[in-house]
This record gives sequence, C-alpha cells and structure tokens, in this order.
Amino acid sequence: MISVCSLSKHYGAQVAVNELSFEVPAGQILGFLGPNGAGKSTTLKMLTGMLEPTGGGATIAGFDLCAQTIEVKRRVGFVPESGAVFESLTGLEYLEMVAALYNIPEAAARERIRQFIAFFDLSFQTLTDKLLGAYSKGMRRKVVITSALLHNPPVVFFDEPLDGLDANAAVGFKTLIQTLAKEGKTIVYSSHILDVVERVCDRVIIIDKGRLLVDGRPDELVAAYGSGTLEKLFTQLTGGAELQRRAEDFAKTFRP
Amino acid sequence: MNDHPDVPPPLPVQAAPSPARALRRLFLTLFLRGRTSRGLKRETAPKSIGSKLALTLVIYALVGGFMSMALINRPVFVSALYLHSMTLVFLGMFVAASAGEILFNKDEADILMHRPVTPRAMLWAKIAVLVQVSLWLAGAFNLAGLFTGALSAHPVWLFPIIHALSTACEALFCTGCIVLVYQLCLRWFGREKMEGMMTGTQIVVAVGAVLLGQLGPQLIGRHGLNFDAVSVWWINFLPPAWFACLDDAVAGTGRAGSWMMGALGLAVTGIVLWLAFGKLARDYETGLQALNEASSAPRRGGGRRRLIDKLVKLPPLSWWLRDSVSRSSFLLTAAYLSRDRDVKLRVYPGIAPMLVMPFIFLLQPQSSARAGAGAPDFMSGFGIAFSGAYLGLIPYMALILIRYSQQWQAGDLFRVAPISGPAPLCHGARRAVLLFLALPMLVIFGVIVYFVARDSAHLALFIPGIIALPIYAMIPCLGGKAVPFSLPTEESKSTTRGLSMMGVMLISCLLAFASTLSWAYGFFRWLILGETILVVGIYFALRATVAKASWPRME
Repeated sequence: MISVCSLSKHYGAQVAVNELSFEVPAGQILGFLGPNGAGKSTTLKMLTGMLEPTGGGATIAGFDLCAQTIEVKRRVGFVPESGAVFESLTGLEYLEMVAALYNIPEAAARERIRQFIAFFDLSFQTLTDKLLGAYSKGMRRKVVITSALLHNPPVVFFDEPLDGLDANAAVGFKTLIQTLAKEGKTIVYSSHILDVVERVCDRVIIIDKGRLLVDGRPDELVAAYGSGTLEKLFTQLTGGAELQRRAEDFAKTFRP
Repeated sequence: MNDHPDVPPPLPVQAAPSPARALRRLFLTLFLRGRTSRGLKRETAPKSIGSKLALTLVIYALVGGFMSMALINRPVFVSALYLHSMTLVFLGMFVAASAGEILFNKDEADILMHRPVTPRAMLWAKIAVLVQVSLWLAGAFNLAGLFTGALSAHPVWLFPIIHALSTACEALFCTGCIVLVYQLCLRWFGREKMEGMMTGTQIVVAVGAVLLGQLGPQLIGRHGLNFDAVSVWWINFLPPAWFACLDDAVAGTGRAGSWMMGALGLAVTGIVLWLAFGKLARDYETGLQALNEASSAPRRGGGRRRLIDKLVKLPPLSWWLRDSVSRSSFLLTAAYLSRDRDVKLRVYPGIAPMLVMPFIFLLQPQSSARAGAGAPDFMSGFGIAFSGAYLGLIPYMALILIRYSQQWQAGDLFRVAPISGPAPLCHGARRAVLLFLALPMLVIFGVIVYFVARDSAHLALFIPGIIALPIYAMIPCLGGKAVPFSLPTEESKSTTRGLSMMGVMLISCLLAFASTLSWAYGFFRWLILGETILVVGIYFALRATVAKASWPRME
C-alpha cells in the first residue's frame, strides 16, 4: 500500500531526510519513531503531498506520489501534529468544508459526521454553534481526527494523534485504529509516547538524522537488541542514554 | 487504483458540492470573520458572515457620496478621473492590507495542503474572494458617483452603465496588480526575502495610495476642474485616467484619444490578470510549499540582535533599562519589529500612511505663498511644528499595534512570571518603540527640513513635538494595555482606534498652532518652558497610574 524508495529532502546543505526506503502493506500499523529533528514530520509531509521530495519517490495506494499527487491526496488521511484548524469556523462548518474538498455528497458527509460525533461523544449543538477557537484542545483534536477519516481513506498518517485527548478518548482511539487496520487500512503512526506505540503498532521504524536506523516488529527488535522495552531500545539507538546521564548531572546543580 | 484489490473503494461521488465552491466559501468566511475566533469576542458563530462588511460598505458609500457632491456639473472626464483616483486609493490600501494574509497564511498549510486541492485552485478561490470584496467596496464607493457623474455639464444616461463597468475593470486591475507584485516578489526574491518584501510592498502601496489621495485632488484642482485628457497629456500615464477615458469615450466627448486610452486600460488590465492569475500560478504553488517548509537557512538579523544585546548593557541604554523585565520586553519588541512577518505587516504599513501628511506639509512650504506677505514664514513654521507634533502618532500607533500577534498565547508567560503587574513590560515596549521607530523618523523629518525644504531657521519648532513624545507614548500604556504581543490579531480591528487617532491629530494641530504663534510673537521659549513643566507633571501622573495597573482580565 505504501512503498517508499530513496525518499530524500534537502534544505540547501542540510539533509532532513536521507534516502529513506520502506514498505507498508495494507492492514498494518507502522510506528514511525525518531528523536526531535530526525525528519519524521518532513517525511510525513512528503508522503501526504504537502512537500515535494528532493530525491527518490513513493507509491501510495497504487499512485505515484510525485506524478499523481492529487490522486494520492484523495486516498490519504492526515492528522498533523499541530492540530491546526480554522478557528473562526464552527466544527460542523469545518467538517462540511473538508467533506466538500473530497467531493463527498452533503447527506453522506452529515451521516459520517454524526457517526464520529457519536463515537467521540461530542454534542451536535456544540459542533453547530460553537466556533472551533472556543473548543478545548481535546475536542479540537477529535475534530481534526474526524476530518482525516471523513473520506474513508485507505491510508492514514497520524502525527501525535493522542495529544490533548483524555484517557478514555485515547483508549477509544487506540481501539479504533487497531480495528481500522483489521479492516484493511494502512496506518502510519508517529509518536513520542513509546509504550503506546509498542502496544498498538505491528511494526516499528526508528529514524535519526533522516536515516533509517531499525525496522521490525517491536518485540523482535527489543529481543534482538536485548533492551527490554521499546523505550530503552529507542534511547539506546538515538543517544538517549547519554542524555539520561546528563540529566542526572544537571539535576544535581539544583541542590540548594 | 481499483486494480489494487486491497484498496477500499472511495466514497460515491454524487451531487457533491464542488471543492472550488467550498474553497471560495471558506476563504470568504475566513476573510469576513478573521482566522482566530477570540477576536470575534464570542464563542458562537455569527448568524451572518456579512454583518461586518455591511458597515464598511455603508461607510464607503457615505464617503463616496460626500466626495461625489463636488462633481455635479463637471465634464465627464474630470468626474470619472476623480472617482477612479479615489477608488484606486481606497481599494489599493484595502487589497494591499489583505492580500498578504489571504495569499500566504502559514497555518493553512497543515489544514489544506494534504487535501486533494491544487494550489492553483486555492489561488483562484482566494483571488475570487479578493475580487468579490473589491467589487463590493468599489461599487459602494461609486454608488453616488454613478448619478452625480450623470449630472455632468452634458448629461449622458450612459454614464452610470459605463462607469459601473470601468469601476469593475479598475477593481480587477487593482487586485491583479497587487497579486502580481506578490507573485513577482516570490519569483525573483524567493520566500526568505518575500516576507520582507510583503511589508515593503504594503508600505509602498499604502503610502502611494495616500499620496495619490492627497495630491490627486490638488493636481486636478490646479487645472480648474474643467480640463480634459488631451490638454494635460501626462495625466494619461496614471491608471485612473485610462478608466476615466473609457467613461469619457462612451458617455463624454467620445474623442479618439479617449477611446485609445480606454482601450489601453482594458488591455493592461487583461495582461495583468493573465500574468497574476494564470502565468504565475505555478510560483504560487512553490511559495505555498516554501511557507510550509522549515527553513534551514541561517536566520538573518542575528547580528543585529547581538548588537542590541550588547548595547542594552552599555550606557546610556543600561541606565534607561535598569529593570530586567523592562529590558526583556524592550529586546522582545525590538526582535519582533525587525523579524516577525505578522508584526511587521501590521505595524509598518499601519504607521507609514500616517506620516505622509507631515511630508506633504514639509515639502510644500511655498504652496501658501499666495496667502500674502508673512504667510509663507508662518505656514512653513506651522508645517515643521506640525511634523514635530505629529511624530507623537508613531509611538501611539505602534504601541497599540504591537499588542497584537499570532503568537498571543505565548503572552501568558508574562502572567506566569513573578511580575506584580504589566507596567514594566509596557515600559520596555514603549522605550523600544521610541528608540527604533520615533527617533529614526525624527531624524528623517529633520533632514527633510534642513536639506530638502531648505528651512533651518525653523528647525527649533520641532522641539514642542519632541517634548510631548513621552506623553503620546505613555497613553497606550494606561491600564497596562501595552503588553507586547499578548492579544490575538483579530482584536486589532477596532473602530475606536480611528477616533483616538483623530484626537491625537487634533492635539498635534493645536500644539503646532501654539508653537507657530509663539514663534511669530517671540514667546517661544516661554512656551517650551511651560510645556516642559506640564509634560513632566502629566508624565509622572500617567506613570503612577500605569504602575498601579493590574493584569487585564483573561477572557
């Protein structure tokens, strides 16, 4: 479903993503991990057609990312880390606008929106009357997730989707994406909450400085590196152990 | 896609609203409501998205109606030229102020760029909104003119029809030109420089529009309000004259020259539209992607910031900024005034047009020579005194405008910090504005008076204005309201600000008049002494009030 081949992004001399290659079949949840500045968001933005790659390419749902960008966009859902929305629209206005961009008939869009409202336990009156700027962060995130899934895309990219969601909503969301994967959707899940990734994802990719470090099933990777948990594996591969030692030293400077 | 068996079928496409229409509706709603909801001062959606625009249209119609009263019984060309000139002034300012925000909004990349819409479709939708609103405004402004123009020296019933058409062409020309300028900036200078260019473009257009508004009627007046396009040849180089010629050709003299200039106007409009909306659309796509990219280029201006960091530690700035909170606020304000696109786009184009009037005063000292002996001296002196007093508008306006930022939520940092109230933050911002905006402008005015207006004798008339500067700068701080970058940008659209600006202008006029009179009658030194005592008293009273201010209530 997703096939990435030597995907690269350069900003002048700086390399943000360096010849990244991987494949994700339908029905798989891929954990896409990396420390800050590793190139995760840049990769996701390229795979969703927001940024043009400097080199390499990808095929998503059978369409070439560079040559058939609009076709790719039709088949992709994306929850960006920023969770940006047009704050001066109501939730319903926003979702109807998104539905129109995907050519979803109004009645079908309304029905789908109602389903999401029921799932996320939102009030329809809030959605019709309140401007998005007045929503809590969690409610806004629910609207953004709804807007990414509204057109029933076969491929979904999530960048820190749980940010702002309360514990119950987070549990519901995790179940939702696992079920969506079982239904055949391909899901790329980028997050810094590694225990969630470990529990939810079938497979994990860790990148650093734009390069792929490891690729495999979480349990297999943890066993292969003898790290015990995914978090420990992550720190081991991305220099986190050194940071841990520095943090201890730094904390000592706060002694009265 | 369907030859891949593992891909679920896309949703059925039937009677769906068109994406292009959805985009147009979206951008119009965002334009009328603003992009953030806090600025709407309400949580619920307004019933009508046009309520804000309606008031603006009424004001435009009233201003246009008032101006067109002077055009009854004039030749068609003069009436049309006057109306088209003023339309271009108002539309130019409006479109220049709106286009940057509409065309290049960074936030919308995360919302729209991964949806199946092309950048060209987004560009067209945005341009459609700009053109639509421009046409409304141009229509409202020319509403009365349609009829007063018809009451020309030789009334022609065709005037309202052709003037409506030529006004629509002018609105398209104006919008196209400004969009074209942005596209060319993007193409030639790239995204990094374009941010600065956007500010520059807005300033140039705003200043040009105000200059045209101030000088246009004077130029027309010099030719006795009865000239035509042929007798004043150079006027044909001005775009409003092309559209006025169109009116003149159809509903006026019908001369061959008018037909030619009218055709030129139509041709130029067509070329501008083709370039802006068609040919350069690909550059827009590149520009949108560039705005979406995290720039890796080293940030320019870092050297300047380091210099300011050093300067604030050295006298006299270190004496002026002893308090660490004021110093931080000073540095923050300085950084935003030189770096932040949003702040620069609001502050500089907001202030620049205000400064045109003193320039006109300064550059035309001899214009009143006709008033009789002694008058030139008085008027030249008044011009300088007025320019000095008018300087107060710079810190006043700037301190109001720097309160707004797209990153206003970061201002919560000030409330979390152990600061008893907003006073030190206001003082830091006030000092930055005085140093980086008011002082350079004072020097520029001084240079103009000394070298361009060749009037060094009256240079001292600047002094009353300079003495009053601290008061003007303190007024926006009252109530602790000048905390920099702490309010959402949508709240910057305020009608009361216009009234307070009129108040400042009135006070400037009075001060300039008093200064010039005292100069003429030989008690200028006493005026300076009296004003200084008064200003010191008022300054400390205001300062004490600001010191007592508590944090404004969070909504």
